[in-house]
Amino acid sequence: MIDNIIIGKYVPGSTVIHRMDPRAKLLTIFLYVFIVFFANNGITYFLLGLFTFIIILLTKLPFSFLWNGLKPVIWIVGFTFLLHILVTKEGDMLFRFGFFSIYEEGLRQGFFISLRFIFLIFMTTTLTLTTTPIEITDGMESLLKPFKKFKLPVHELALMMSISLRFIPTLLEETEKILKAQMARGVDFTSGPVKERIKAIVPLLVPLFISAFKRAEELATAMEARGYRGSEGRTKIRQLKWGAIDSIMMASILLLSIILLLLRA
Amino acid sequence: MLKSKAFKLVFVGMLSGISYLLMALNFPLPGLPAFLKIDFSEIPAMLATILLGPIAGLAVEAIKNTLHYIIQGSATGVPIDQLANFLAGLFFLLPFAFVFQKVRSMKGVLFGLAAGTISMSVAMSLLNYYFILPAYTLFLNMPQMSIAEVKQVIIAGILPFNLIKGTIIAIVFLMIYGRIKEWLQHKFNVQNA
Repeated sequence: MIDNIIIGKYVPGSTVIHRMDPRAKLLTIFLYVFIVFFANNGITYFLLGLFTFIIILLTKLPFSFLWNGLKPVIWIVGFTFLLHILVTKEGDMLFRFGFFSIYEEGLRQGFFISLRFIFLIFMTTTLTLTTTPIEITDGMESLLKPFKKFKLPVHELALMMSISLRFIPTLLEETEKILKAQMARGVDFTSGPVKERIKAIVPLLVPLFISAFKRAEELATAMEARGYRGSEGRTKIRQLKWGAIDSIMMASILLLSIILLLLRA
Repeated sequence: MLKSKAFKLVFVGMLSGISYLLMALNFPLPGLPAFLKIDFSEIPAMLATILLGPIAGLAVEAIKNTLHYIIQGSATGVPIDQLANFLAGLFFLLPFAFVFQKVRSMKGVLFGLAAGTISMSVAMSLLNYYFILPAYTLFLNMPQMSIAEVKQVIIAGILPFNLIKGTIIAIVFLMIYGRIKEWLQHKFNVQNA
Protein backbone atom coordinates (compact mmCIF):
# COMPACT_ATOMS: atom_id res chain seq x y z
CA MET A 1 0.00 0.00 0.00
CA ILE A 2 2.71 2.49 1.03
CA ASP A 3 5.06 1.45 -1.79
CA ASN A 4 2.16 1.82 -4.15
CA ILE A 5 1.58 5.43 -3.06
CA ILE A 6 5.22 6.50 -3.36
CA ILE A 7 6.75 4.74 -6.33
CA GLY A 8 3.59 3.64 -8.05
CA LYS A 9 4.14 1.02 -10.70
CA TYR A 10 7.67 1.84 -11.88
CA VAL A 11 9.95 -1.21 -12.32
CA PRO A 12 13.67 -0.30 -12.60
CA GLY A 13 15.48 -1.61 -15.65
CA SER A 14 17.90 -0.67 -18.41
CA THR A 15 16.14 -1.88 -21.56
CA VAL A 16 15.79 0.21 -24.71
CA ILE A 17 12.33 1.29 -23.61
CA HIS A 18 13.56 2.27 -20.12
CA ARG A 19 16.32 4.38 -21.66
CA MET A 20 14.08 6.14 -24.19
CA ASP A 21 13.60 9.89 -23.92
CA PRO A 22 10.41 10.49 -21.89
CA ARG A 23 9.32 13.02 -24.53
CA ALA A 24 9.32 10.32 -27.20
CA LYS A 25 7.38 7.98 -24.91
CA LEU A 26 4.76 10.61 -24.13
CA LEU A 27 4.32 11.53 -27.80
CA THR A 28 4.04 7.86 -28.76
CA ILE A 29 1.34 7.19 -26.17
CA PHE A 30 -0.53 10.34 -27.17
CA LEU A 31 -0.63 9.24 -30.82
CA TYR A 32 -1.42 5.64 -29.87
CA VAL A 33 -4.56 6.65 -27.96
CA PHE A 34 -5.87 8.14 -31.21
CA ILE A 35 -4.81 5.48 -33.69
CA VAL A 36 -6.22 2.66 -31.56
CA PHE A 37 -9.61 3.85 -32.82
CA PHE A 38 -8.51 3.63 -36.49
CA ALA A 39 -8.33 -0.16 -36.43
CA ASN A 40 -11.58 -1.77 -37.62
CA ASN A 41 -10.71 -4.95 -39.54
CA GLY A 42 -8.54 -8.04 -39.20
CA ILE A 43 -5.36 -6.68 -40.78
CA THR A 44 -5.39 -3.33 -38.91
CA TYR A 45 -5.98 -5.07 -35.58
CA PHE A 46 -3.18 -7.49 -36.37
CA LEU A 47 -0.70 -4.66 -37.11
CA LEU A 48 -1.72 -2.74 -33.99
CA GLY A 49 -1.32 -5.90 -31.92
CA LEU A 50 2.07 -6.64 -33.48
CA PHE A 51 3.32 -3.13 -32.65
CA THR A 52 2.06 -3.40 -29.05
CA PHE A 53 3.52 -6.88 -28.66
CA ILE A 54 6.98 -5.80 -29.92
CA ILE A 55 7.03 -2.89 -27.45
CA ILE A 56 6.03 -5.20 -24.58
CA LEU A 57 8.79 -7.65 -25.57
CA LEU A 58 11.35 -4.83 -25.65
CA THR A 59 10.54 -3.83 -22.05
CA LYS A 60 11.55 -7.36 -20.93
CA LEU A 61 8.98 -7.14 -18.15
CA PRO A 62 7.28 -10.29 -16.90
CA PHE A 63 3.76 -10.52 -18.29
CA SER A 64 2.35 -10.57 -14.74
CA PHE A 65 3.11 -6.82 -14.36
CA LEU A 66 0.96 -6.02 -17.38
CA TRP A 67 -1.71 -8.41 -16.22
CA ASN A 68 -1.91 -6.45 -12.93
CA GLY A 69 -2.73 -3.32 -14.93
CA LEU A 70 -5.57 -5.15 -16.63
CA LYS A 71 -7.00 -6.85 -13.55
CA PRO A 72 -9.23 -3.98 -12.29
CA VAL A 73 -11.10 -3.84 -15.62
CA ILE A 74 -11.00 -7.45 -16.82
CA TRP A 75 -14.63 -8.08 -15.83
CA ILE A 76 -15.71 -5.09 -17.93
CA VAL A 77 -13.83 -6.53 -20.91
CA GLY A 78 -15.53 -9.90 -20.41
CA PHE A 79 -18.93 -8.33 -19.94
CA THR A 80 -18.61 -6.25 -23.13
CA PHE A 81 -17.50 -9.30 -25.06
CA LEU A 82 -20.54 -11.29 -23.93
CA LEU A 83 -22.86 -8.40 -24.62
CA HIS A 84 -21.65 -8.02 -28.20
CA ILE A 85 -22.07 -11.74 -28.79
CA LEU A 86 -25.61 -11.77 -27.44
CA VAL A 87 -26.89 -8.51 -28.91
CA THR A 88 -25.37 -8.25 -32.40
CA LYS A 89 -27.39 -10.44 -34.77
CA GLU A 90 -25.66 -9.87 -38.10
CA GLY A 91 -23.74 -12.12 -40.47
CA ASP A 92 -24.00 -15.91 -40.51
CA MET A 93 -25.37 -17.80 -37.55
CA LEU A 94 -22.64 -19.92 -36.02
CA PHE A 95 -24.34 -21.61 -33.12
CA ARG A 96 -27.84 -22.07 -31.83
CA PHE A 97 -29.26 -23.53 -28.65
CA GLY A 98 -32.90 -22.70 -28.01
CA PHE A 99 -33.20 -18.93 -27.65
CA PHE A 100 -29.47 -18.60 -27.47
CA SER A 101 -27.65 -17.94 -30.73
CA ILE A 102 -24.27 -16.61 -31.79
CA TYR A 103 -23.72 -14.69 -35.01
CA GLU A 104 -20.46 -14.14 -36.85
CA GLU A 105 -20.60 -10.34 -36.67
CA GLY A 106 -21.25 -10.36 -32.90
CA LEU A 107 -18.30 -12.63 -32.24
CA ARG A 108 -16.08 -10.50 -34.49
CA GLN A 109 -17.07 -7.17 -32.93
CA GLY A 110 -16.88 -8.46 -29.37
CA PHE A 111 -13.42 -9.86 -30.01
CA PHE A 112 -12.06 -6.73 -31.74
CA ILE A 113 -13.43 -4.26 -29.23
CA SER A 114 -12.02 -6.24 -26.29
CA LEU A 115 -8.64 -6.34 -28.07
CA ARG A 116 -8.62 -2.58 -28.63
CA PHE A 117 -9.28 -2.00 -24.95
CA ILE A 118 -6.58 -4.44 -23.84
CA PHE A 119 -4.01 -2.84 -26.19
CA LEU A 120 -4.77 0.60 -24.80
CA ILE A 121 -4.32 -0.57 -21.20
CA PHE A 122 -1.10 -2.44 -22.07
CA MET A 123 0.50 0.57 -23.75
CA THR A 124 -0.34 3.09 -20.99
CA THR A 125 0.74 0.57 -18.33
CA THR A 126 4.05 0.14 -20.18
CA LEU A 127 4.65 3.89 -19.83
CA THR A 128 4.19 3.92 -16.04
CA LEU A 129 6.09 0.63 -15.68
CA THR A 130 9.21 1.88 -17.47
CA THR A 131 9.30 5.61 -16.67
CA THR A 132 9.77 7.28 -13.27
CA PRO A 133 7.31 10.06 -12.35
CA ILE A 134 10.16 12.59 -12.32
CA GLU A 135 11.16 11.63 -15.88
CA ILE A 136 7.56 12.08 -17.01
CA THR A 137 7.52 15.52 -15.31
CA ASP A 138 10.71 16.56 -17.14
CA GLY A 139 9.32 15.28 -20.42
CA MET A 140 6.04 17.15 -19.94
CA GLU A 141 7.89 20.38 -19.09
CA SER A 142 9.93 20.11 -22.28
CA LEU A 143 6.94 19.22 -24.50
CA LEU A 144 4.77 22.01 -23.10
CA LYS A 145 7.43 24.71 -23.59
CA PRO A 146 5.71 26.16 -26.72
CA PHE A 147 2.67 26.95 -24.54
CA LYS A 148 4.75 29.50 -22.63
CA LYS A 149 3.71 31.92 -25.38
CA PHE A 150 0.12 31.56 -24.18
CA LYS A 151 1.12 32.50 -20.61
CA LEU A 152 1.04 28.90 -19.33
CA PRO A 153 3.64 28.84 -16.49
CA VAL A 154 5.26 25.62 -17.69
CA HIS A 155 8.49 25.90 -15.71
CA GLU A 156 6.66 26.80 -12.50
CA LEU A 157 4.22 23.90 -12.84
CA ALA A 158 7.06 21.43 -13.44
CA LEU A 159 9.00 22.79 -10.46
CA MET A 160 5.96 22.44 -8.19
CA MET A 161 5.45 18.89 -9.42
CA SER A 162 9.08 18.00 -8.70
CA ILE A 163 8.77 19.50 -5.21
CA SER A 164 5.62 17.42 -4.59
CA LEU A 165 7.33 14.27 -5.84
CA ARG A 166 10.37 14.96 -3.66
CA PHE A 167 8.26 15.50 -0.53
CA ILE A 168 5.59 12.80 -0.92
CA PRO A 169 7.77 10.16 0.85
CA THR A 170 8.70 12.68 3.58
CA LEU A 171 5.07 13.68 4.07
CA LEU A 172 4.00 10.05 4.20
CA GLU A 173 6.61 9.31 6.85
CA GLU A 174 5.38 12.33 8.80
CA THR A 175 1.79 11.07 8.50
CA GLU A 176 2.75 7.66 9.86
CA LYS A 177 4.58 9.25 12.78
CA ILE A 178 1.55 11.38 13.66
CA LEU A 179 -0.77 8.37 13.22
CA LYS A 180 1.30 6.33 15.67
CA ALA A 181 1.53 9.24 18.12
CA GLN A 182 -2.26 9.63 18.06
CA MET A 183 -2.84 5.89 18.35
CA ALA A 184 -0.57 5.82 21.40
CA ARG A 185 -2.95 8.39 22.88
CA GLY A 186 -5.89 6.06 22.18
CA VAL A 187 -7.32 7.40 18.88
CA ASP A 188 -8.90 4.67 16.77
CA PHE A 189 -8.52 5.27 13.01
CA THR A 190 -9.48 1.86 11.72
CA SER A 191 -12.86 1.03 13.21
CA GLY A 192 -16.02 2.70 14.42
CA PRO A 193 -18.77 4.52 12.53
CA VAL A 194 -17.91 6.75 9.55
CA LYS A 195 -18.65 9.88 11.60
CA GLU A 196 -16.02 9.00 14.18
CA ARG A 197 -13.44 8.15 11.56
CA ILE A 198 -14.00 11.46 9.78
CA LYS A 199 -13.54 13.25 13.11
CA ALA A 200 -10.29 11.36 13.68
CA ILE A 201 -8.75 12.86 10.55
CA VAL A 202 -8.65 16.36 12.11
CA PRO A 203 -5.91 15.65 14.72
CA LEU A 204 -4.00 13.94 11.90
CA LEU A 205 -4.17 16.77 9.36
CA VAL A 206 -3.54 19.74 11.66
CA PRO A 207 0.04 18.71 12.64
CA LEU A 208 0.68 17.55 9.07
CA PHE A 209 -0.19 20.99 7.65
CA ILE A 210 1.82 22.83 10.30
CA SER A 211 4.93 20.75 9.69
CA ALA A 212 4.53 21.03 5.90
CA PHE A 213 4.28 24.82 6.16
CA LYS A 214 7.46 24.93 8.24
CA ARG A 215 9.25 22.73 5.72
CA ALA A 216 8.04 24.90 2.83
CA GLU A 217 9.36 27.99 4.58
CA GLU A 218 12.78 26.39 5.08
CA LEU A 219 13.02 25.23 1.46
CA ALA A 220 11.91 28.61 0.09
CA THR A 221 14.49 30.43 2.23
CA ALA A 222 17.18 28.02 1.02
CA MET A 223 16.15 28.59 -2.62
CA GLU A 224 16.23 32.36 -2.27
CA ALA A 225 19.59 32.24 -0.48
CA ARG A 226 20.94 30.39 -3.54
CA GLY A 227 19.50 33.00 -5.86
CA TYR A 228 16.47 31.21 -7.35
CA ARG A 229 14.74 33.59 -9.77
CA GLY A 230 12.60 31.48 -12.09
CA SER A 231 13.36 29.64 -15.29
CA GLU A 232 15.63 32.24 -16.93
CA GLY A 233 19.16 30.84 -17.22
CA ARG A 234 18.46 27.91 -14.91
CA THR A 235 20.59 24.81 -15.47
CA LYS A 236 19.39 21.24 -14.92
CA ILE A 237 20.87 18.19 -13.27
CA ARG A 238 18.74 15.78 -15.35
CA GLN A 239 19.31 16.45 -19.06
CA LEU A 240 16.95 14.99 -21.64
CA LYS A 241 18.73 13.39 -24.58
CA TRP A 242 16.92 12.57 -27.83
CA GLY A 243 18.62 9.47 -29.26
CA ALA A 244 18.35 7.33 -32.37
CA ILE A 245 15.89 4.96 -30.69
CA ASP A 246 13.53 7.90 -30.02
CA SER A 247 13.55 8.90 -33.68
CA ILE A 248 12.99 5.26 -34.69
CA MET A 249 10.02 5.01 -32.32
CA MET A 250 8.44 8.22 -33.63
CA ALA A 251 8.98 7.06 -37.22
CA SER A 252 7.39 3.67 -36.48
CA ILE A 253 4.32 5.08 -34.79
CA LEU A 254 3.80 7.59 -37.62
CA LEU A 255 4.23 4.83 -40.18
CA LEU A 256 1.77 2.65 -38.26
CA SER A 257 -0.76 5.50 -38.19
CA ILE A 258 -0.51 5.96 -41.98
CA ILE A 259 -0.78 2.21 -42.67
CA LEU A 260 -3.81 1.91 -40.37
CA LEU A 261 -5.50 4.83 -42.16
CA LEU A 262 -4.85 3.20 -45.55
CA LEU A 263 -5.90 -0.33 -44.60
CA ARG A 264 -8.94 0.36 -42.45
CA ALA A 265 -12.23 -0.74 -43.90
CA MET B 1 6.93 35.78 3.07
CA LEU B 2 3.74 35.12 1.07
CA LYS B 3 4.83 37.65 -1.57
CA SER B 4 8.03 35.79 -2.54
CA LYS B 5 7.71 33.75 -5.74
CA ALA B 6 9.91 30.92 -4.45
CA PHE B 7 7.74 30.60 -1.37
CA LYS B 8 4.53 30.49 -3.41
CA LEU B 9 5.92 27.73 -5.62
CA VAL B 10 7.24 25.62 -2.72
CA PHE B 11 4.03 26.15 -0.76
CA VAL B 12 1.78 25.02 -3.61
CA GLY B 13 4.12 22.08 -4.33
CA MET B 14 4.02 20.96 -0.71
CA LEU B 15 0.21 21.29 -0.49
CA SER B 16 -0.12 19.32 -3.76
CA GLY B 17 1.95 16.54 -2.18
CA ILE B 18 -0.40 16.39 0.82
CA SER B 19 -3.35 16.54 -1.55
CA TYR B 20 -2.02 13.56 -3.53
CA LEU B 21 -1.55 11.53 -0.33
CA LEU B 22 -5.07 12.35 0.84
CA MET B 23 -6.42 11.36 -2.58
CA ALA B 24 -4.76 7.96 -2.23
CA LEU B 25 -6.58 7.43 1.10
CA ASN B 26 -10.05 7.49 -0.45
CA PHE B 27 -13.10 5.51 0.64
CA PRO B 28 -16.53 4.78 -0.85
CA LEU B 29 -19.70 5.99 0.82
CA PRO B 30 -22.14 3.35 2.05
CA GLY B 31 -25.26 3.16 -0.11
CA LEU B 32 -23.78 4.77 -3.24
CA PRO B 33 -22.02 3.17 -6.27
CA ALA B 34 -18.47 2.05 -5.43
CA PHE B 35 -16.82 4.06 -8.23
CA LEU B 36 -17.80 7.25 -6.40
CA LYS B 37 -15.13 7.62 -3.75
CA ILE B 38 -14.67 10.41 -1.27
CA ASP B 39 -11.35 11.87 -0.11
CA PHE B 40 -10.07 14.99 1.62
CA SER B 41 -7.71 16.13 -1.13
CA GLU B 42 -9.70 19.36 -1.66
CA ILE B 43 -8.68 20.65 1.79
CA PRO B 44 -5.05 21.54 0.88
CA ALA B 45 -6.35 23.24 -2.28
CA MET B 46 -8.72 25.34 -0.14
CA LEU B 47 -5.89 26.38 2.17
CA ALA B 48 -3.88 27.43 -0.89
CA THR B 49 -6.91 29.41 -2.12
CA ILE B 50 -7.25 31.24 1.19
CA LEU B 51 -3.55 32.09 1.53
CA LEU B 52 -2.47 32.63 -2.09
CA GLY B 53 -5.65 32.98 -4.14
CA PRO B 54 -7.74 30.82 -6.51
CA ILE B 55 -4.94 30.24 -9.07
CA ALA B 56 -2.84 28.56 -6.36
CA GLY B 57 -5.84 26.42 -5.36
CA LEU B 58 -6.41 25.31 -8.95
CA ALA B 59 -2.68 24.58 -9.31
CA VAL B 60 -2.92 22.22 -6.33
CA GLU B 61 -5.87 20.43 -7.98
CA ALA B 62 -4.07 20.19 -11.34
CA ILE B 63 -0.78 18.91 -9.88
CA LYS B 64 -2.55 16.41 -7.62
CA ASN B 65 -4.38 14.85 -10.57
CA THR B 66 -1.34 14.85 -12.86
CA LEU B 67 0.71 13.12 -10.16
CA HIS B 68 -2.06 10.61 -9.61
CA TYR B 69 -2.12 9.78 -13.31
CA ILE B 70 1.65 9.46 -13.77
CA ILE B 71 2.13 7.43 -10.57
CA GLN B 72 -1.04 5.33 -10.44
CA GLY B 73 -2.20 5.37 -14.04
CA SER B 74 -5.86 5.02 -14.96
CA ALA B 75 -8.07 1.96 -15.38
CA THR B 76 -9.21 3.19 -18.79
CA GLY B 77 -5.69 4.09 -19.93
CA VAL B 78 -6.88 7.64 -20.56
CA PRO B 79 -7.09 10.00 -17.53
CA ILE B 80 -10.89 10.41 -17.41
CA ASP B 81 -11.09 9.82 -13.64
CA GLN B 82 -8.43 12.43 -13.04
CA LEU B 83 -10.07 14.93 -15.38
CA ALA B 84 -13.42 14.44 -13.63
CA ASN B 85 -11.76 14.93 -10.25
CA PHE B 86 -10.08 18.14 -11.47
CA LEU B 87 -13.36 19.51 -12.80
CA ALA B 88 -15.12 18.71 -9.51
CA GLY B 89 -12.33 20.54 -7.64
CA LEU B 90 -12.57 23.49 -10.03
CA PHE B 91 -16.32 23.91 -9.56
CA PHE B 92 -15.91 23.58 -5.80
CA LEU B 93 -13.00 26.02 -5.45
CA LEU B 94 -14.04 28.86 -7.77
CA PRO B 95 -17.30 29.84 -5.99
CA PHE B 96 -15.52 29.35 -2.66
CA ALA B 97 -12.71 31.70 -3.74
CA PHE B 98 -15.17 34.22 -5.16
CA VAL B 99 -17.28 34.46 -1.97
CA PHE B 100 -14.20 34.45 0.25
CA GLN B 101 -12.59 37.33 -1.64
CA LYS B 102 -15.74 39.43 -1.16
CA VAL B 103 -16.20 38.54 2.52
CA ARG B 104 -12.83 37.82 4.11
CA SER B 105 -14.05 36.34 7.38
CA MET B 106 -15.40 33.13 8.88
CA LYS B 107 -18.81 34.09 7.45
CA GLY B 108 -17.23 34.22 3.99
CA VAL B 109 -15.71 30.77 4.50
CA LEU B 110 -19.09 29.34 5.51
CA PHE B 111 -21.03 30.83 2.59
CA GLY B 112 -18.18 29.97 0.25
CA LEU B 113 -18.31 26.31 1.29
CA ALA B 114 -22.08 26.21 0.76
CA ALA B 115 -21.74 27.85 -2.66
CA GLY B 116 -18.94 25.46 -3.61
CA THR B 117 -20.93 22.38 -2.62
CA ILE B 118 -23.98 23.44 -4.63
CA SER B 119 -21.92 24.49 -7.65
CA MET B 120 -19.92 21.23 -7.65
CA SER B 121 -23.08 19.09 -7.40
CA VAL B 122 -24.88 20.89 -10.23
CA ALA B 123 -21.79 21.11 -12.47
CA MET B 124 -20.82 17.46 -11.98
CA SER B 125 -24.38 16.28 -12.73
CA LEU B 126 -24.36 18.23 -16.00
CA LEU B 127 -20.80 17.25 -16.93
CA ASN B 128 -21.53 13.59 -16.28
CA TYR B 129 -24.64 13.79 -18.42
CA TYR B 130 -22.94 15.41 -21.41
CA PHE B 131 -19.32 14.38 -21.15
CA ILE B 132 -17.93 12.11 -18.39
CA LEU B 133 -20.34 9.15 -18.55
CA PRO B 134 -20.29 9.07 -22.38
CA ALA B 135 -16.46 9.20 -22.26
CA TYR B 136 -16.42 6.24 -19.86
CA THR B 137 -18.72 4.15 -22.01
CA LEU B 138 -16.56 4.99 -25.03
CA PHE B 139 -13.23 4.04 -23.47
CA LEU B 140 -14.52 1.07 -21.49
CA ASN B 141 -16.42 -0.04 -24.59
CA MET B 142 -19.56 -0.56 -22.61
CA PRO B 143 -22.83 -0.34 -24.50
CA GLN B 144 -24.23 3.18 -24.77
CA MET B 145 -26.47 3.93 -21.81
CA SER B 146 -29.98 5.09 -22.62
CA ILE B 147 -30.93 8.61 -21.54
CA ALA B 148 -33.15 7.17 -18.81
CA GLU B 149 -30.25 5.10 -17.45
CA VAL B 150 -27.89 8.09 -17.45
CA LYS B 151 -30.50 10.18 -15.62
CA GLN B 152 -30.95 7.35 -13.13
CA VAL B 153 -27.18 7.20 -12.42
CA ILE B 154 -26.99 10.97 -11.99
CA ILE B 155 -30.06 11.38 -9.78
CA ALA B 156 -29.36 8.32 -7.60
CA GLY B 157 -25.55 8.53 -7.62
CA ILE B 158 -23.69 11.60 -8.84
CA LEU B 159 -25.94 14.32 -7.38
CA PRO B 160 -26.35 12.98 -3.82
CA PHE B 161 -22.70 11.89 -3.80
CA ASN B 162 -21.41 15.38 -4.59
CA LEU B 163 -23.78 16.99 -2.07
CA ILE B 164 -22.56 14.62 0.67
CA LYS B 165 -18.92 14.97 -0.42
CA GLY B 166 -19.12 18.78 -0.36
CA THR B 167 -20.78 18.78 3.06
CA ILE B 168 -18.24 16.36 4.60
CA ILE B 169 -15.28 18.28 3.15
CA ALA B 170 -16.79 21.54 4.39
CA ILE B 171 -17.22 20.18 7.94
CA VAL B 172 -13.69 18.74 8.09
CA PHE B 173 -12.25 21.92 6.59
CA LEU B 174 -14.00 24.08 9.19
CA MET B 175 -12.69 21.88 12.02
CA ILE B 176 -9.11 22.08 10.67
CA TYR B 177 -9.22 25.73 9.67
CA GLY B 178 -10.60 26.75 13.05
CA ARG B 179 -7.54 25.25 14.68
CA ILE B 180 -4.78 26.55 12.42
CA LYS B 181 -6.28 29.96 11.59
CA GLU B 182 -4.52 31.83 14.38
CA TRP B 183 -1.23 30.06 13.75
CA LEU B 184 -1.41 31.06 10.07
CA GLN B 185 -2.35 34.65 10.86
CA HIS B 186 0.51 34.94 13.28
CA LYS B 187 3.01 33.14 11.04
CA PHE B 188 2.27 34.77 7.72
CA ASN B 189 0.79 38.07 8.87
CA VAL B 190 -2.41 37.48 6.93
CA GLN B 191 -5.24 39.78 7.89
CA ASN B 192 -8.63 38.10 8.34
CA ALA B 193 -7.54 34.87 6.75
